Amino acid sequence: MGNYTAPLRDMRFALYELADFKKLAGIPACADLAPELVDSVLDAAGEFCAEVLFPINRSGDEEGCTIENGVVRTPKGFPEAYKQFREGGWTALHCDPAFGGQGLPKVVSLLFEEMICSANISFGMYPGLSHGAYAALHKHGTEELKNRYLPKLVDGTWTGTMCLTEPHCGTDLGLIRTRAVPEADGTYKITGTKIFISAGEHDLAENIIHLVLAKLPDAPAGTRGISLFIVPKFLPTDDGRPGMRNAAVCASIEHKMGIKASSTCVMNFDGAQGWLVGEPHRGLSAMFTMMNEARLSVGIQGLGLAEISYQNAVAYAKDRRQGRALNGATEPDQPADSILVHPDVRRMLLTMRAYIEGCRGLATLVALEQDISQDHPDAATRQEADDFVALMTPIIKAFTSDIGWEATSIGMQVLGGHGYVREWGMEQYVRDAKIAQIYEGTNGVQALDLVGRKLPAHAGRYLRRFFHPVLAWIEANSENEALSEFVLPLSKAFGRLQQCTAEIARAGIANPFEAGAAATDYLRLFGLTALAYVWARSAEVALPKAEQDEFYRAKLATARFYMQKLLPQTGALASTIMAGGSTLRAFEDAAF
Amino acid sequence: MSEIRKAAVIGAGVMGAGIAAQIANAGVPVVLLDLVPGFAAAAVEKLLKTEPAAFMHKRHAKLVTPGNLETDLGLVADCDWIIEAIIERPDAKRALYEKLQALRKPGSVVSSNTSTIPLDDLITGLPPEFAADFMITHFFNPPRYMRLLETVVGPATNAESAARVTAFADHRLGKTTIACKDTPGFIANRIGTLWLSAGVRHAIDLGLTVEEADAIAGRPMGVPKTGIFGLIDLVGLDLMPLVAGSLLRTLPKSDAYHALHRDEPLTQRMIAEGRTGRKGKGGFYTMKRDGAARTKLSIDLATGDYRPEQKPRLASLDEAGRELSKLADHPDRGGKYARALLLDTLSYAASLVPEIADDIEAVDAAMRLGYNWKDGPFALIDRVGPAWLAAALRADGREVPKFLDLVGQGKFYRTDNGQLQIFGTDGQYHNVVRAPGVLLLADIKRRSKPLAKNGSASLWDIGDDVACLEFTSKMNSLDPDIMALISRAITMGKKGAFKALVIYNEGSQFSVGANLGLAIFAANIAAWGEIENLVEAGQKTYRALRDAPFPVVSAPSGMALGGGCEVLLHSDAVQAHAETYTGLVEVGVGLIPGWGGTTTLLKRWAANKKFPRGPMPAVSKAFEIISTAQVSKSAAEAQDLLLLKPTDGITMNRDRLLADAKAKALSLVEGYAPPEPVTLKLPGAAGRAALKMAVDGFAATGKATPHDVVVCEALAQILTGGPADPIEDTTEDKLYALERSVFMQLVRHPASLARIEHMLESGKPLRN
Repeated sequence: MGNYTAPLRDMRFALYELADFKKLAGIPACADLAPELVDSVLDAAGEFCAEVLFPINRSGDEEGCTIENGVVRTPKGFPEAYKQFREGGWTALHCDPAFGGQGLPKVVSLLFEEMICSANISFGMYPGLSHGAYAALHKHGTEELKNRYLPKLVDGTWTGTMCLTEPHCGTDLGLIRTRAVPEADGTYKITGTKIFISAGEHDLAENIIHLVLAKLPDAPAGTRGISLFIVPKFLPTDDGRPGMRNAAVCASIEHKMGIKASSTCVMNFDGAQGWLVGEPHRGLSAMFTMMNEARLSVGIQGLGLAEISYQNAVAYAKDRRQGRALNGATEPDQPADSILVHPDVRRMLLTMRAYIEGCRGLATLVALEQDISQDHPDAATRQEADDFVALMTPIIKAFTSDIGWEATSIGMQVLGGHGYVREWGMEQYVRDAKIAQIYEGTNGVQALDLVGRKLPAHAGRYLRRFFHPVLAWIEANSENEALSEFVLPLSKAFGRLQQCTAEIARAGIANPFEAGAAATDYLRLFGLTALAYVWARSAEVALPKAEQDEFYRAKLATARFYMQKLLPQTGALASTIMAGGSTLRAFEDAAF
Repeated sequence: MSEIRKAAVIGAGVMGAGIAAQIANAGVPVVLLDLVPGFAAAAVEKLLKTEPAAFMHKRHAKLVTPGNLETDLGLVADCDWIIEAIIERPDAKRALYEKLQALRKPGSVVSSNTSTIPLDDLITGLPPEFAADFMITHFFNPPRYMRLLETVVGPATNAESAARVTAFADHRLGKTTIACKDTPGFIANRIGTLWLSAGVRHAIDLGLTVEEADAIAGRPMGVPKTGIFGLIDLVGLDLMPLVAGSLLRTLPKSDAYHALHRDEPLTQRMIAEGRTGRKGKGGFYTMKRDGAARTKLSIDLATGDYRPEQKPRLASLDEAGRELSKLADHPDRGGKYARALLLDTLSYAASLVPEIADDIEAVDAAMRLGYNWKDGPFALIDRVGPAWLAAALRADGREVPKFLDLVGQGKFYRTDNGQLQIFGTDGQYHNVVRAPGVLLLADIKRRSKPLAKNGSASLWDIGDDVACLEFTSKMNSLDPDIMALISRAITMGKKGAFKALVIYNEGSQFSVGANLGLAIFAANIAAWGEIENLVEAGQKTYRALRDAPFPVVSAPSGMALGGGCEVLLHSDAVQAHAETYTGLVEVGVGLIPGWGGTTTLLKRWAANKKFPRGPMPAVSKAFEIISTAQVSKSAAEAQDLLLLKPTDGITMNRDRLLADAKAKALSLVEGYAPPEPVTLKLPGAAGRAALKMAVDGFAATGKATPHDVVVCEALAQILTGGPADPIEDTTEDKLYALERSVFMQLVRHPASLARIEHMLESGKPLRN
């Protein structure tokens, strides 16, 4: 059985030393947000995750959710933990104070999300989905709907879901069949089946609020004909209690590879009463307004799992004694040296660490801009931040969840056979990590979003928000000899990214297949280059302080490792991209 | 054949005044008379303010002598051509002709601009001497810009008289003259009126919105995006019943127009309420002004009330793409509308040959040039397939025109051994023969292979050892491929592949300038080196073009902007279509002309002997032209700006441009030597300070935006020679280097990038 300690020191580094925390002061609601307050929130969050959520992670995985007569039970300890979670005010962290929220920025709540995902990602699904429903309703709901539902979602007495997928359509939502028929009283009757609905049914809360995509009778074909509805499990009474049972029923739950304590439901809506959210036929764009935030959160799931896997792999490597160091025993008085002496074990651990801290830094930079993009009073500032977030969202989602999958696998490898058996819990992290590459738009779809939508948007304007500051930083530090071991590799990777971006734009205009063929490699190239920027800037911060402080020494050492051992992948990726897509196209379909 | 040396136009309405202006544009004095005293003089004043401009240069207005019919009719005595453009009443016209007959000089030609009255009616009762010199010349509105001139001659018309007018209209007025038969509405309005009536009627019957109808009838059919309802708004709703009425009166009952025409209560009501279109209180479309806010409204065809504009959403439009028959086969209302409109219009056109014209090319040219269709009806039939059209007509139980049946599975146009041929009523194909002096690149391309070619340009052999470089990119924007082909052409020319080079194309715009999309994408990914290469490569290529050992003649028509203007500036000579709109417009996107345009314009003004001496006047003039992004509204205006040289030629007729340019190029071959490099005396810091003061003044009065100031100061750096000591001469190399460095400084500016992005997305400049 492993352990979890929230990586608070590195989180503070990301928030205060790497990101420009002071920039948040430009947002009226955050004007007085003091680091001391943020620190105390993060400290308490770390404690809660380690003491309440982590202990029921393994048991939750083993027990899973169960269904009987449409009633879903979460594993032992979950209802109690959720009660504590709710009573601790954790559901309200990044919510509007007007509805009882605490108004903390996304960049802070994101760090909390990482902790939850390290400690117990299955548990995290329940409040995570609630927050999605909260955000959609907060942005698009009428005042009446908001007043009725938001306080309950904010204080966690009710939870929420997002019902998009249907048996025959996932990525291509234009094909949905769920229907909404208007009633005389202004409500709608919703009929259809939704699948893969996380938190669709459970025993954590007294009511569940479904946000459902459906088509009105006069809907045009395709994605421009989808509307968004709110459909509660129990129709709220006027005094805000769960009233009559609505015809929204869980038919079954999925049996799946990971996140077993999260209930993944098939939901049947059989003339269920619902209310329109936002304008008719504009449901998909209403959903998309919070998609950036949701995708950022999915990336963070990969990060959280990589972190817990790393912590336990390190603990094991320090403890486990096998063989001798290649250059002579380090602990001759012991029967064997700890496996930490082996170059390959060190390679594995440093790889995990460099990715984890890099991704944390990058996600923090993006989350902060997301706060700016939503709440800054100046429209031009909001626009610039929004450009950056739009560009980086598919990268955070796909690259970080890929890293989650790779890192948890490496972590398991460090333990050898002990990683493969259940005892240490390492294999659960691998299984739990997989889904993040799949849902909320598969990573292949994220890569297409990057090359097909984000690159060409406004003649490449989104790209400016990454390329210009990075080049400015490189130029500003080009004469700094002490930093040159970081600046040079960054600038090399940056040049490759420029070249590949131009090539994809050029080839993609003439032939979209070419852009699609390069997409996944390009997204990874972009992610690795962005991490190089994070690491170079981290090194800039750490360099003057490294002698006195081991934290900064480790930062610098990890930065060096990243530049020399991980970043060179960009060379291979650039070659792959420049080779074009002809081999993908040429292969005959019949030969598959 | 004697020339038209002086002309008269009688009737100073919109058409008459516009015709007079175009005659003046040709440099020919013209008398403009009207019944109402003072009206003609007022019409000339109005012409000077018309947008788009009626005169190609304001000096042309002086060639128009206004007068009134009562007292000044004697002015027609020495006119070679008298055009009557008065009210459409035969008696009034005949009365005028009688007076003219007494005054006009022998051998002069009289023509009527009537659009509805048969020639026979017009000469009834007039002496045979008059009939011999009389014809119909039907101009389209606005007369300067619409290239169609329909002509009708009677049996009595003297062929020489008609030929004289036709030749003048062709060479000097730039018109494509189409000989029509004496039938109602001639060609264009006969087909166009039925098309508009069908468009309105079917939209109402099939329940389309005006936006949907125009989206179907516009772009997919190669018709301007105004479609049906937008066009009616433009010409005026009140005009429609007049045109329709005249056709209904004159066309035989068997004509398809009788069956199709319907008086629409909606349009009648709109006319009664003064909602006659853009000139009236709105039409099918209108703009609601609420303070500064403007909202576009459109009419609900069912109720006649205005509602906010609705974007057309039709599955047929989404699914059919550019395939016209697929659109017309689609089951939704858009598809049904397309089908109804195509069947009515195309079968009508097919049934009118040879009644209204001898061949299909005349019909197609009339619709292209008179209604701005991209393809005429027969080219449209070929697009959908004559067999498809015949089958569709049969399926609807309608008669298939004989001519359409005759073409059967074939097409109306074909290419045989590189020769364009048209299908005739005799069932045979006939070569399309161009008039002498008309050389079309399209014809050359049909029969030969390019000497060189890449994705954005081609090089053609146009005979007599002259090559033609054609841009083929989107909107003929300039990109690295074009630069590469220019370089290739220079190498080939140096090796003797040709004696002279013409740069010319048959796109609607000569070139809209550098490909901004490429540039801004490179800027967005901070690929500054790449942009610097683009700038330097452009400079090198253009200079090599100028310094090549053979003459280079550019022949623009339409827009030649930015980098396109710089092509003209680096040519030895230009033969411009009169309708050439050129300028160095880079400041509009926050940049400066960086392919030698700033340097060359400065050189031209410095060399202008009519201009005051000293370093400052030329600098100020170039600064004024570039900093305000002046665009000429004609080739004549471009000469004023020295964007064209006074020695550069102007061709009025678009179809004669290539032949004229080729002749000009050949005339330069003997003894050709490339221009010598020059040095300039520039004012340096003192001059810069003077320009800055002027800019600050504009900024203070709000005429210059903050980024205008940045761009202007950057421009001033180049024009004043940078930090040069004013005593030293500035070399061309130095100026080109300054262009590059200033360009790079500006392209990194976020405000410039915002301007480029805005231009790309909206087509309009951003004033930031």
